[in-house]
Amino acid sequence: MTEEERAHYFDIIANGNLVGIEPSNLLLHGPTKRLIDTYHWHSPNKGIVASYSPKERDVEDHFGIFRGVDQVEAFAQATIVSCATFLQCRKENCLPDALRDKFVPAFISIGNVSFQNYLELGDTFISIGNITFWKWRQMVCDGHIYRVPKGLDLDDYFSDFTEERLLKYDISSDFVKVAELHDITGRAILIEHFNKLA
Amino acid sequence: MENANERKEILDGLLEVLRTVRTIDPARLEGVTEETDFLTDMNTPSTELINIAAKVEQKFDIEFEDEDIDRMGSKVKDVIDLIIMVKERGANK
Repeated sequence: MTEEERAHYFDIIANGNLVGIEPSNLLLHGPTKRLIDTYHWHSPNKGIVASYSPKERDVEDHFGIFRGVDQVEAFAQATIVSCATFLQCRKENCLPDALRDKFVPAFISIGNVSFQNYLELGDTFISIGNITFWKWRQMVCDGHIYRVPKGLDLDDYFSDFTEERLLKYDISSDFVKVAELHDITGRAILIEHFNKLA
Repeated sequence: MENANERKEILDGLLEVLRTVRTIDPARLEGVTEETDFLTDMNTPSTELINIAAKVEQKFDIEFEDEDIDRMGSKVKDVIDLIIMVKERGANK
């Protein structure tokens, strides 16, 4: 990243949101376990909409079906990882790579999850997550996963999305609900504390 | 200087908070002492400690910093020590 790009990124962290940000610039892990393609809507203190299209590697040896456990992981990456990383960067006035030396982003708990449909190779899905708790580097999110109608321009569709619509999951009935997720919880743990867990 | 009455009052307030925590079996609150450990004696999920801390903030009208939570131990006395420390910090501001 050039100095000019870093300056632009600092401005986004301070004043903007994740729409238009390449997930690889925010998430410290990847690329094969990165389960986000694009951020489509983001309100830093409220929630997020992000999409992913399962790749061949994601459905290999699994009947062409994207696993439920990976849906939970994709939702977590979109919500408690992306949203919390963004807010922590804003709090510390830094970019994500500066957090790498201090914290381990840990997925620490999930509540009820129900699967109501499935996803296969060729599908695109969105994770819609709302932040229910954020304090002391711990974030909790609830939300839904939906299969996206074929051919829909998600950036355009969510360009006028609002916090009110987020809380009501107010989207077209053409989206097919695949999963409901509750109390997805993550925490940025100090590296020295994380190492004591071993 | 800390005194026994203050610690007793805080323990009583803390017990009020703990009675509102869904994941804590009320039966485990019988006979709680400062040496009781949330994780091993009360089987409290570690993620719940954050929720307890948030309720403690409200109950005692104090505000924890990230570092306070990072340093907080898992025994009742650790939480009482932290509450006293944060109250004193607030009073000195």
